[in-house]
Amino acid sequence: MTFGQPWFLLGTLAALIPLLVHLFDRRRPREVPFAALDFVLRSQKRTASRLRLKRLLLYLLRTLLLLAVPIALAKPSFATTDLAASRRGVAATAIVLDTSLALRWTDGTRLFDVAKDEAKSALRDLAPEEPATVVICAHNPVATAPVGFERTRLMTAIDEATPGFEAADLNRCLEVAARSLDDSPLPNRRLVLVSALTQGSLRLEQPPPLGAGIKGEKLKPEFVVRDVAKGRELPNRALVDVRAEAAPQLGPRAWQFTFTVRNFAKEAARDVELLLEVDGQVVQKGFVDLAAEGTTQKMLSWRFAKGGVATVTGRLAGDALQEDDAHSLVLSVPRELTALIINGSPSPQKYKDEAFFTEAALSATGSPVRAVVRDADAAWKEKFGSYDVILLLNVEAPPAEAARALGEFVDNGGGLFISMGDRVDPDAWNQSMGGVLPRKLRVVKTAVEPNQPDATTRAARLAQVAINHPVMLPFTGRAREGLLSTRYYRYALFEGDAQGMETEVLGTMDDGAPVFLASRRGKGRLFVFASTVDRDWSDLPIRTSFLPLMQRVAGWLTGTLDEREEVRAKVGETVVLKPEANQSPAWARAGSGAEVALTVLPQGGGVTGGPLPEPGPYLVVDAKGTTLERLGFAVSIDAGASNLARHSLEALSEWLGEESVRTAGSGGPESSTPLWTWLITLAVIAFFLEGLLLRK
Amino acid sequence: MLLDAATLSRLTGLKLRARAVVEGVLSGLHKSPNQGQSVEFAEHKEYAPGDELRHLDWKAYGKFDKFYVKRFEHETNLRAVMVVDTSGSMGFGSAGLSKLDVGRVLAATIAHLLIRQQDAAGVALVAQGRFAEIPPRSTAGHLGSVLEALESAVPKGLTDLAMTADTLAEKLPRRSLVCVFSDFFDERQDALKRILALRSRKHDVAVFHLVDKAELEFPFDDPTLFLSMEDDRRVEVNPREIKESYLEEFHRFLESTRDACRAADCDYERVRTDEPLDEVLLRFLGRRGGKL
Repeated sequence: MTFGQPWFLLGTLAALIPLLVHLFDRRRPREVPFAALDFVLRSQKRTASRLRLKRLLLYLLRTLLLLAVPIALAKPSFATTDLAASRRGVAATAIVLDTSLALRWTDGTRLFDVAKDEAKSALRDLAPEEPATVVICAHNPVATAPVGFERTRLMTAIDEATPGFEAADLNRCLEVAARSLDDSPLPNRRLVLVSALTQGSLRLEQPPPLGAGIKGEKLKPEFVVRDVAKGRELPNRALVDVRAEAAPQLGPRAWQFTFTVRNFAKEAARDVELLLEVDGQVVQKGFVDLAAEGTTQKMLSWRFAKGGVATVTGRLAGDALQEDDAHSLVLSVPRELTALIINGSPSPQKYKDEAFFTEAALSATGSPVRAVVRDADAAWKEKFGSYDVILLLNVEAPPAEAARALGEFVDNGGGLFISMGDRVDPDAWNQSMGGVLPRKLRVVKTAVEPNQPDATTRAARLAQVAINHPVMLPFTGRAREGLLSTRYYRYALFEGDAQGMETEVLGTMDDGAPVFLASRRGKGRLFVFASTVDRDWSDLPIRTSFLPLMQRVAGWLTGTLDEREEVRAKVGETVVLKPEANQSPAWARAGSGAEVALTVLPQGGGVTGGPLPEPGPYLVVDAKGTTLERLGFAVSIDAGASNLARHSLEALSEWLGEESVRTAGSGGPESSTPLWTWLITLAVIAFFLEGLLLRK
Repeated sequence: MLLDAATLSRLTGLKLRARAVVEGVLSGLHKSPNQGQSVEFAEHKEYAPGDELRHLDWKAYGKFDKFYVKRFEHETNLRAVMVVDTSGSMGFGSAGLSKLDVGRVLAATIAHLLIRQQDAAGVALVAQGRFAEIPPRSTAGHLGSVLEALESAVPKGLTDLAMTADTLAEKLPRRSLVCVFSDFFDERQDALKRILALRSRKHDVAVFHLVDKAELEFPFDDPTLFLSMEDDRRVEVNPREIKESYLEEFHRFLESTRDACRAADCDYERVRTDEPLDEVLLRFLGRRGGKL
């Protein structure tokens, strides 16, 4: 608010007069002897409360009167940014309605509702001879109708518009709007931008759009900006990320969730509540303090009761923009695995026992594997189908019946791990398990005898590791160095791939010999390790990488590693899913019921769909409507959209060009609405009411 | 000649004022179409020596073979008591005469008229703790005593009509006319009721309700400190703020007093202190058929 004659504001001191009169009025009343005093007393008692109210009203009205007059004389006015009618005359007009996430901001009235009213108001304000169109600035902005005079259709388009979940590209929308006016024969063009003017949606580093006349000449349109935020700041905080990590140290199926909270407001916030929801139930709570325009992280953990797919949602205490206060994950919690360890070389001394290190690795705290150890003779009598994974550790070639059962086990979806050792006779194995092995065994190569003094330096080492394979994903940086420095004294060499089988080599020696072989057979998987899982041929079991390697091998063999691959997508993006061979996903369904069609990518690249319309968890269903639980994923809002910092009007005027930005009345970047007439009206009303009260 | 309060106030002495009103009333009665109707048959009486022969009822003699004379109403001796309230509030008057002045002029006038027609008239000056009485007599010289008593009345103290009613009930031996001159500002709720209860003892009760113009119109504007005329109470008010409520209360009081009198079959006459008193009396007498 500004004042044309601020000195008149001193006159507001006159508002104290009624109070001073009340406090210091000491006039002596006239004394009158009166016979009917009882009636005076009775009337006074009867009217006392009414009189008190009347006096209070009189006091207020007089104060109001004495305030309103000097303020009116000071010529107050309100600066406004709204722009209304045309400055240049009749113009073809395109109204751009912003649908950014920012428009979901609400302080009782949602900004988008204000925006729709503003857009409709802009449409109504047009002269009848002005053609118009409306551009709903969504993901794919298009003019809702050709430039014309059909207002009803445009009104309907505005009514049907909904706010989005991302920062709209207003630059692109203004371009589309400017182009939509190119067909108009009118020389004057006008773009009305109805927006919250957030920096994320309108980039001022790009030039403002230009239109083209009938002859192709460039036309600079007149810009009319309707700021739906009315000059206010839009404070917001958002849960910009939730990271999930397995936390085996906290127990089986325990996960740790790291919340990243960003405060975009200029005021700090204390004790902001964070909730962790699992499948819709609040399971953990926490509080964070947020610095002004700062970011903070908070960790909450949760131990799942069982394995399987779980929808995890982090939720921040609501603010004016609630949509970005939640962040979901669809998590595959590993189910419990049962492993049969067939010990080919048992020993009463634990560190010499073939299965000791493997069992310890698989049974470590937080491991989803429940391992059972059997020697070879006992193992062949087991029902393999009751296990998820079978590990053959330095086992003599299985008898034919067992070999056939193992083959069936893998074909039916089981995981088979095979490690070498001095009990493994390549010829016997090739004869017995030739149909199961991905590659036939050739010979055992000795790099150096382990008991040689220079064994540590002459031992073979890994030269390459396929770090993109799920089993090897954790082995990056120092972990990779640790794995590569493992010493191998002896290892098996393999033939080429067996017919009809594809084998991935996940690690090779410096002589090129494969060490880790991963292969699929039927519904199952095989993993062959060319050396031993005790210390006879290698020092791998005493390396820090042994435990995660064995756990991930077990996970990969049972398919649970794939389940842990979290799909992350953002609103407006496309998602890529990797279904199993027997799955045919057709739709991704959002929480609101909105569906996104999925199309198959070439060369087994999976399926893709998008743009994703809203945040939250999505279910994936096939053409028959069956939910494919393991393909579920979650979509989040881009953190940039949550930043509701706004452009200043000055910056906007500079960008659009002062002469193009029209403001109501003055034609400058701002206009003022005089208030003195309202104040004088108020004073007159107060005066009238005061007289009315006095007469009563 | 109508005698308004301003004219009367210029006449000094109650005797003079009363005579002026009496003359006004008599001239008014002369004009009344009801003249002579006050002589009405009341009862038969066996003839006794000394009775006027013209009143002999010859028809009765024919029937009963005895002499009877007709007795007429005006010949019945009337006892009347003028009860004048002399409490402090009666001293209020904004138009020359106070309510007490008006009350005693009216009382004196009625006493004058009664004695003039050989009826007995007395006066009782009452206030809280006071009951000064001149018993009713019909002698011509008695009027002087009545006027003297009325003239000596001073407005003072609280109103106590209930005590007055009780005292009158004891003292009045037979059917009498009781004229009460008061503003009825009595704190006791049943005061009026007990005055009117005299009617049930066969007394003829006439109430002269005296009100002042200022009481009726409440013509005050500026903040005023009102002082009680009967005790020490005082109240500061802005009259404009309470005027409406006051008038409502006061008129309700007047109406309720009038209604109570009518309900008790008593004559009620509201008398403004600024209106001509002969008119008041003519109105009163007219309602009573021109006689007392």
